[in-house]
Amino acid sequence: MFRMGTNDHEAIRAVLGGDREAYGILVKRHSQSLFRVAFRITRNESDAEDVVQEAFLRGYRKLEGFESRSNFGTWIYRIAVRCALDKISGRRWDDSSRVAEENDPEQEQVQVADEAAGPDRLLLSGEIGALQEAALHSLTDTERTAFVLRHMEDCTSEEIGAALGIPPNAAKQAVFRAVRKLRSRLAPLRMKR
Amino acid sequence: MNHLSKEELIEQYYSKGTGGAGQHLEACAQCAEAYAELRSDLEAMKFSEPPARDAAYGERVWQSISGSLPAYERRKRNWLGIGMMRGLSYAAASALMVSAAFYAGRLWEHKQPRTAQVSTPPPAPAQEHTAPPTERIVVVILSDHLDRSERLLVQLKHADAGSEEMLSPLRDEARSLLAANHICQQNMKQEDDPALATALDRLDHLLAQLANRQGGLDAAALSQLQDEMKSDSLLFEVRVLRSRIPDRRPATNDRSEGGTI
Repeated sequence: MFRMGTNDHEAIRAVLGGDREAYGILVKRHSQSLFRVAFRITRNESDAEDVVQEAFLRGYRKLEGFESRSNFGTWIYRIAVRCALDKISGRRWDDSSRVAEENDPEQEQVQVADEAAGPDRLLLSGEIGALQEAALHSLTDTERTAFVLRHMEDCTSEEIGAALGIPPNAAKQAVFRAVRKLRSRLAPLRMKR
Repeated sequence: MNHLSKEELIEQYYSKGTGGAGQHLEACAQCAEAYAELRSDLEAMKFSEPPARDAAYGERVWQSISGSLPAYERRKRNWLGIGMMRGLSYAAASALMVSAAFYAGRLWEHKQPRTAQVSTPPPAPAQEHTAPPTERIVVVILSDHLDRSERLLVQLKHADAGSEEMLSPLRDEARSLLAANHICQQNMKQEDDPALATALDRLDHLLAQLANRQGGLDAAALSQLQDEMKSDSLLFEVRVLRSRIPDRRPATNDRSEGGTI
């Protein structure tokens, strides 16, 4: 029987050999990191939990295609990022309270409106974080995810590109655009600091 | 001096100072100021941290999904079953194709010698790869020819010179056998069988006299032929040769085929 000390590759071999319970070891081992990135992309606790489950389900179905020389943690992490993107993409279209403000012709993705109130009120109420969240939310899905993975998850451009299914240079450019937009939106805060 | 672009400054920030812009920042106050401002902005971006998950979170995730995961063993067995079915289908189809090809080949092969017997002359000696069909044709003709020759000689031996009804068919048969005998003689040139060649020569002489005698067969001519036949022991010789050559004719239509040469 497999213990928690079993490494990922041994567990995967066991799963592919018919030991379904061995997948539980992988799930328990990587759930925390998947939840963290899922939450940072979806900005929603419930959605993040859904993303974690969906990622592990997809991972199980694709496990035969997993290359043994790869790192399972990295592999399932990428799947989780894709699931999170799918989640926020579907959620955006379901969310009727938010309207499109402008189109990004490069990404062909609709940007959601900044639902924040004016900076003065936010500053007065001490809700700087809310303004930052709103600024982050104003980015396109790709920009936001690239920024989250770079700024919070400390991923390289190559890792971001692999997770998003885009070339590393495109991932780098997405991070640049995200930083520029965020700085622009958060400029009023800079003056008050 | 070229100043660093915003992208280069951002890259410098996220590469934790390991980028190539470090030296420039030390030398360029303007870029250093821009970089400090960028770093201040990015460090000020404090987004809400993910809520903590307790140690049992992974277990809960596993419990929530484990029921919907089919075991790979079972799936593999199903795939194995499908694979076996598919393999058997391919094998059956292949066997069917091979059988059809074999049957078609047999039909074709069966048809080929028949055509050769009826319409084509014996192949040239140089074509050694066609030796088996050539040999077969000769054997069929020869055995048939010797059969017919034997019957003719028996009829000739007992022929009555006064019976024109009996002599006329003998002449016709002799003419037919004469043509066949020529073909057999030609083929015998390739074979090292002097006894058969001699017998065919004698038979040729007799048949020629029987078929082409001027003024038909009268009693004297018939008697002369019968004497020649006796002195040469031609009938005995033909019988011996006939018994020596195996009868390899197919069961159907061989006699008529042999007779159409």
